[in-house]
Amino acid sequence: MTATTRAAPPATARRGSFRILPAIELAVLALLLVVPFLLADRPELITLLTNVVILSLLALSFDLCWGFSGIMSFGQALFFGVAGYGVALVGRDLEFSQLWATLPLAMLAGGALAAILAAFLLLGRKAPTSIFVAFGTLTGAYAAERLVAGWQYVGAGNGLSAIKLMAFGEYEFVEGLDFYAVALTALVLVYAASRMLVRSQLGLVLAGIRQNEERLAFFGYRVQVFKALVFSLAGMVAGLSGALYSYHQGFTGPSNLGPGLSTTAVIYCLFGGSGTLIGPVIGTVAIEVLSYVLADIDAIRQFWPVLLGLVLLLVVTFQPTGLLGLAVSARERIGTYGARKAAR
Amino acid sequence: MEFAAKFAFDMVAFTSVMVLIVLGLGVIASMMGIFNFAHGELVLLGAYTVYLSSEAGLGTWPGLLAAPVVVGLVGFGLERTVIRRFYRTPIIAMLGTYAIGLIIREIVRGLLGGHYKSIPEPIGGAFSLGGIEFSIWRSFIIATTLVVIGGTYLLLARSSIGLRVRGALENPMLARACGISTSRLYALTFTFGAALAGLAGALIVPLYQLSADIGIRFLVQAFLSVMLGGVGSFEGPVLGAAAVGGLAAWLPWVVTPVLADPLVFLIALAIVRVRPQGFIAVGRL
Repeated sequence: MTATTRAAPPATARRGSFRILPAIELAVLALLLVVPFLLADRPELITLLTNVVILSLLALSFDLCWGFSGIMSFGQALFFGVAGYGVALVGRDLEFSQLWATLPLAMLAGGALAAILAAFLLLGRKAPTSIFVAFGTLTGAYAAERLVAGWQYVGAGNGLSAIKLMAFGEYEFVEGLDFYAVALTALVLVYAASRMLVRSQLGLVLAGIRQNEERLAFFGYRVQVFKALVFSLAGMVAGLSGALYSYHQGFTGPSNLGPGLSTTAVIYCLFGGSGTLIGPVIGTVAIEVLSYVLADIDAIRQFWPVLLGLVLLLVVTFQPTGLLGLAVSARERIGTYGARKAAR
Repeated sequence: MEFAAKFAFDMVAFTSVMVLIVLGLGVIASMMGIFNFAHGELVLLGAYTVYLSSEAGLGTWPGLLAAPVVVGLVGFGLERTVIRRFYRTPIIAMLGTYAIGLIIREIVRGLLGGHYKSIPEPIGGAFSLGGIEFSIWRSFIIATTLVVIGGTYLLLARSSIGLRVRGALENPMLARACGISTSRLYALTFTFGAALAGLAGALIVPLYQLSADIGIRFLVQAFLSVMLGGVGSFEGPVLGAAAVGGLAAWLPWVVTPVLADPLVFLIALAIVRVRPQGFIAVGRL
């Protein structure tokens, strides 16, 4: 949609309003396409990059909740982890790991779970406070982590390891360029779909909700239903991310379900810039690459989580628009809706 | 009979600790309208203070006495530097306090080295009453809580500071117009809430193992208590804490402990869902 509006108006009307956001998006995409070929002889970096791409999906799913519909979700890892456990169990008990079936199923699982949680937290006679929703999601993730950590069938505290490799037909994906290709395809598809979603009529309603929830409710929009819908979609994205993550690591454990990983997703997104789609991707890349580079220094590695917390605090206090806010104007971050009138 | 008495006793002891935590959380929530996500980590800091003092060879008592002071001071520092920026934006406050909690938790985790530490009860043993054994330490917790609740009540209801606090709670604008410095009261309230959390942490650490993650557990339970009880009143959170405490003490008798913990949360959330205003409804959160 943005593409057509960009091409439609005559050049004179567009002078001086160069759009930086699409340029950044293209640059990130080009980087993600080119860098793996430059690193082909460093397998551990390919693994890192694959992780980054998969975690970007998780960050993106949090952004759909917080940046686009104002749901503070401290439980995004719940959907991530459940889908991850799901594909691990299907691989173990049914000996099945065909990606054309397991990945959609993982999305379905994440989406369904999110829908149930949303129905519980968001839908009801009285609109819940945002703090109730935030705590509800945190509680869900915490309870799930405790439950899984004590449940023998899913490996209790040790989690599930040696997960059956993701396959397509006879071909099995191990860590490396081909797995990276799958992950990147998933990210690009989800990103494109999200981009369409937030610029659609539904996206317009979401923008209205962010601006003034009460007014939208008076217009007759059932605000909570829209939020629940986006929350479920975000759950699907988190589910996809979790399934890929489990396959890639060959392991899943209770910490993949809990508040810890959920918090990490929050940090990725806010650091990069919430409310834009490319922000969470940039945040994930930046933080994961930094963490990899700094891990060699002992003093920093031990207190890396503390640094992450400080980053979150500083971003929240002084730079709520994140890294992207430094480069992109508010007008462009918020964006415009509907087709522009051509040639006035 | 013996079983019932023991059970009731455990429940009351657990509830007492929850009451201490929730009182701090509730006071901050109803006064400033922000929900302190770092509260669990303040509890953790209290527990850690006791651990430090017992590591230093001083025994647990100095730590127990120091915990409320230390954590209160930390709370004061946090309020003056960070938290006060968030009063106008309660949603952002959620993220900000969460970040503070994360920082404290990870620092403690780094200092503990990821291990579980256990700390002996300062007064061990049990006394028997009518042929039933009661733990002395748990009785001490109950007694302390009663004293703190009584003191807080008197402070709020009888002192001039309490009058100002109640005024600021009722109508902050009018309170400011009357020359009451709400900013100073907010700092005081936050310090007080933090000190209560520190005391609670110090009291419970002999009962639980000390690890960096105990904070989040108590945060979730305290939140449910406040939600159950209703924000803005004194009795509400106490009642809610009793309900959560009762559930948490009772469920492990009925279902396996693995299920009990998540089930407590589910039941409490469900009750909140049905009755969002809490048991006692006056608040503004």
